[in-house]
Amino acid sequence: MSKFSDIKKDFPIFERDINGKKLTYLDSGATSQKPNSVIDKMNDIYKFNNANVHRGTYVLSSETTHEYESVRYKLQSFLNASESDEIIFTKGTTEALNFLANSIANKFMGEGDEIILSEIEHHANIIPWQMVAEKYKLTINYVKVNDDFSLDLDDLSSKLSSKTKVVSIVGESNLSGMLPDIKEINNLVRSNSDALLIIDGAQLVPHRKVDVQDLGIDFLVFSGHKMLGPTGIGVVWGKKELLNSLDPVYGGGDMIEEVHYDKATWAPVPHKFEAGTPPYVEAIGLGAAVDYLENLGMSEVEKHSDELREYGRKVLLDIDGVNVIHAEQDIAGCTFGMYVDGVHAADLSLMLDTHGVAVRAGHHCVQPFHRKLGIDATIRSTAYIYNDKEDIDTLKSALISSVEMLR
Amino acid sequence: MSIREKVDEYKKILDIFPNDQEKYQYLIEKAKENDSFPLELRLDNFKVNGCQSQVWLVPEEKDEKLFFNSDSDALIAKGLVTLIASIYSDEKAEDIVSSEIDLMEEFELGVILSPARRNGAYSMLKTIKEYAKNLIS
Repeated sequence: MSKFSDIKKDFPIFERDINGKKLTYLDSGATSQKPNSVIDKMNDIYKFNNANVHRGTYVLSSETTHEYESVRYKLQSFLNASESDEIIFTKGTTEALNFLANSIANKFMGEGDEIILSEIEHHANIIPWQMVAEKYKLTINYVKVNDDFSLDLDDLSSKLSSKTKVVSIVGESNLSGMLPDIKEINNLVRSNSDALLIIDGAQLVPHRKVDVQDLGIDFLVFSGHKMLGPTGIGVVWGKKELLNSLDPVYGGGDMIEEVHYDKATWAPVPHKFEAGTPPYVEAIGLGAAVDYLENLGMSEVEKHSDELREYGRKVLLDIDGVNVIHAEQDIAGCTFGMYVDGVHAADLSLMLDTHGVAVRAGHHCVQPFHRKLGIDATIRSTAYIYNDKEDIDTLKSALISSVEMLR
Repeated sequence: MSIREKVDEYKKILDIFPNDQEKYQYLIEKAKENDSFPLELRLDNFKVNGCQSQVWLVPEEKDEKLFFNSDSDALIAKGLVTLIASIYSDEKAEDIVSSEIDLMEEFELGVILSPARRNGAYSMLKTIKEYAKNLIS
């Protein structure tokens, strides 16, 4: 029996019904559901261990500190990072990218320097760069997306130059499921510039094995809540020497070595980037999520994602009247953006909800790309480890009946 | 009919439908009946902020009473704004402002009437009350 066939029983949310129907949750691209092990772990910390980390010299604080710091080791092994100090906790991907944009621009960039993003980036990987670009007089260039939703790597090559200081690219598109060839991007960046390469792994890390050393990139950012963990916790992984050279963006408690009235010195990496009380319970919850995924095995998680993608292609690509935004390359995520001519995405998602089907409707924080395609809004189905073929079938039949009612 | 009477009337109708799907279907029919909104009035200054779809509310004053013409590019939202507009149309501005009826509590309309402040129905009501308030002051 497959590890995935009985998996819904680990997730208490699937015990409830929606509008009298079984819950068909296909919005994991927005956030994932949580297994009992994550919920219980966080409850246990609050019930039995709670004390602030890095402060007390008593049992509770030392236990919590140990639990918190051990998540860094879990993530080191999960990502095959060379050191646990390369793991920095943030609130999520958005804060991670804001931190990197500000810290990198402040240290390494000046007027006329260039940043390269792609046309299909999430707003979290556009707006922080726009903000620093205005402050430091930088230019942003966007790599084109081909008609089949793949990245135009020739366009990337032509845009790279000695002026390029940062390339920040999505690791898996939250709209089309496109997975760019990160190793190839890394090669192009290294041979045509001295730029730092950042991968936005918010959608990638939950679904696929990521080996940061093998990829050769400089930074990876991702969120805990999209990979079975709680909200309010995210990660920046960065090469140690780069992290050492960057300055903190936030100042406060716990990130210092020595403080005087006129100056302060920073604690070593990673703590210089974690000012104030960190979300340690959330970090420990993320540790439990990593344990859950490691227990399944990330290669099995990948295989399951690939199976659902192939089934999704078989079932969703030829529904009468439904247009699909999906990267049809050999390797892609199980994410399908969809729109129906003459039917509003908000109407469609409300009707799907009456069937117990939860999908996202709107621009999914990729407004510029929707504008490029000439569409206001789409609905989006994103599957995860607890979804099965039956969920995709339910989506299809709910789609057909909803479109019929709305036309 | 007063605002209260109109709300009670709609409550009676909506209560007939046993589930959200049939209620939405009723709103879709209401939307399709509302075909009098001129496209050239789909202007930004008549747009209701905070809705997932685009919603327009245009006030008009006639014989010391307010009337609302409404439209949306989505069907269910259009049905909802049509219903809300008809409740507050043909009413004096003072009556609209002083009405304390909480539509979110009165109608059971699934997720589209959840009492969240960033919700479309909340914004529609707020817009109507603001028009009425401005008229008085």
